[in-house]
Amino acid sequence: MKKHKRDVIISYGWSFPSLILIALMVVFPIFYTAYISLTNMNVYHWFDFAVVGLDNYFRALFVFDSGFLSALFATIVWTVVNMVLQLIIAFVLVSLLNIQKLKLRKIYKTLLMFPWAMPGYVSILLWKTGMFNTQFGLLNQWMKKLGYEAVRWLSNDISAFICCTVVNLWLALPFMIMIMDGAMQSIDRSYYESAILDGADWLKRTRYITIPAIAPIISPAVIITVFTTFKQFDVVYLLTQQAGAKTGSGFHTILTYTYENAFITNNYGYSSAISIIIFILLLVLSARYQMKEGDR
Amino acid sequence: MTKNRIKEGIRLTALNIFFIVWCFIALIPILYAASVSLSGQNGLLSSEFSFIPKDFTLDNYKEVVFGENILTWFKNTFFLAVVTVSLSLLIAVPAAYCFSRRRFPGRKGILKCLVLLNSFPAILSMFAIYRLLRPMGLINHRLGLILVYTGTMAVFSLWNTKGYFDTIPTEIEEAAKIDGASDIQSVLMIVLPLAKPSIITTALQVLIYVWNEYIYATTFMTGENKYTLAAGLYSLQATEMRGSWPVFAAASITVSIPVLIIFFICQKYMTSGLTAGGVKE
Repeated sequence: MKKHKRDVIISYGWSFPSLILIALMVVFPIFYTAYISLTNMNVYHWFDFAVVGLDNYFRALFVFDSGFLSALFATIVWTVVNMVLQLIIAFVLVSLLNIQKLKLRKIYKTLLMFPWAMPGYVSILLWKTGMFNTQFGLLNQWMKKLGYEAVRWLSNDISAFICCTVVNLWLALPFMIMIMDGAMQSIDRSYYESAILDGADWLKRTRYITIPAIAPIISPAVIITVFTTFKQFDVVYLLTQQAGAKTGSGFHTILTYTYENAFITNNYGYSSAISIIIFILLLVLSARYQMKEGDR
Repeated sequence: MTKNRIKEGIRLTALNIFFIVWCFIALIPILYAASVSLSGQNGLLSSEFSFIPKDFTLDNYKEVVFGENILTWFKNTFFLAVVTVSLSLLIAVPAAYCFSRRRFPGRKGILKCLVLLNSFPAILSMFAIYRLLRPMGLINHRLGLILVYTGTMAVFSLWNTKGYFDTIPTEIEEAAKIDGASDIQSVLMIVLPLAKPSIITTALQVLIYVWNEYIYATTFMTGENKYTLAAGLYSLQATEMRGSWPVFAAASITVSIPVLIIFFICQKYMTSGLTAGGVKE
């Protein structure tokens, strides 16, 4: 009995530095955010803020032109569009890469990994200046050559959304390709051989062998990617919403919207309320989809 | 027979052409930046574009390497990275070991909370952290950033190393104990060397995080001499109004090279370490 108690103390003793840091830098700020969300704290009320109850939540959820709901809707559309495109493109590329007689496969794979290896924010900034910029951007140099006017790609909602999607796909595809490639190589060749003997065409083999075989293997990675896409900040922020260099697009994901309210328009109470709403949303979603990993 | 061969040959050639074109298109942003970073300023104005730099020059790189700012930023980043990585490992490894090997009340609950916390984007509590650190004088101070970075990565570090410890069979330690090794001895001499891949992955992930993090670094630090490389690069970027695109391109390439090298050397470690630690049924 006594030894047991000592054991517990030792366990917590060794874990203490890690746990206390998490408590102070991760958990406590969340509670503090929850507290701020109940106040009217902003630039004018930095010290003399008052508790206003659930007003901020009410404004976020029931006042339609507050912007939160449209940002949430845009984020959902963004996640769906990105995931569908990512899965389809990665699947096609990986199927082609796995055609048996392709000898240069390794070189292609390495080249395709490059966007993943680059620091993300550097790539995004290079896209912003190198591709989309009106003066130096390649896209506009090509437009000029074809005799069109220069286009401000990032200045309207729809084209900004498309540009962000392209960049996000560029950044995310390598990971998806790697995961799918690993999964596809784990399929036993003999399935295909007997399917071919039975006269199944490529479409049928894909439908009845490839997809069912890789689905369970890639699903954890896909779920993780859904979450990271939903929580995307860098792409949208760096391309269109940088403090002091906004391009005029109104496309926001929920995270850039929260950042904007905290650090640009300085509505701290309101921004904190959105943070808490997003946090709860993520908690519910990850309890549903990611908790299984923790059960061990 | 030969007809089939020819057909197959054509198909393979088409496939190869497809991949060459696809890879080329995918690499255009990087190739373009590389080419611009090596060309003189006037090369930009001509509308004829090519991937081979015109007026080949290393001036932009000279400006990057010998410009005083970048060296300061590099020093700042280096300092932050070393402290953050060592601190992260120092606190994560013992905790991960306890959570992997020992059974104590509260263990399961804490682990579940950690999974949930992992899904919480750090940006959401940025303002709260700002407000908490400001009265302590930690805004615009390196210590503030170190605390933020170590804290943000603490959940990941703990979880990742714990996941790997789980895959090391306990029998090895038990055998060592029978041979008379103490608890700490068996951990230091047996478990840690075996856990090297996951420790390296964790360290690299933390390192790359610090190297690439710009939003805290620009929001919490003011004054260019306190910037990290990421924050500095962010402030250098060429917009429609200001900045030099060739110098920015050169700086981007310079900052990316160490990360590229780490990535391609450690690709095996990265992927195996990550999948062993994070995703498992």
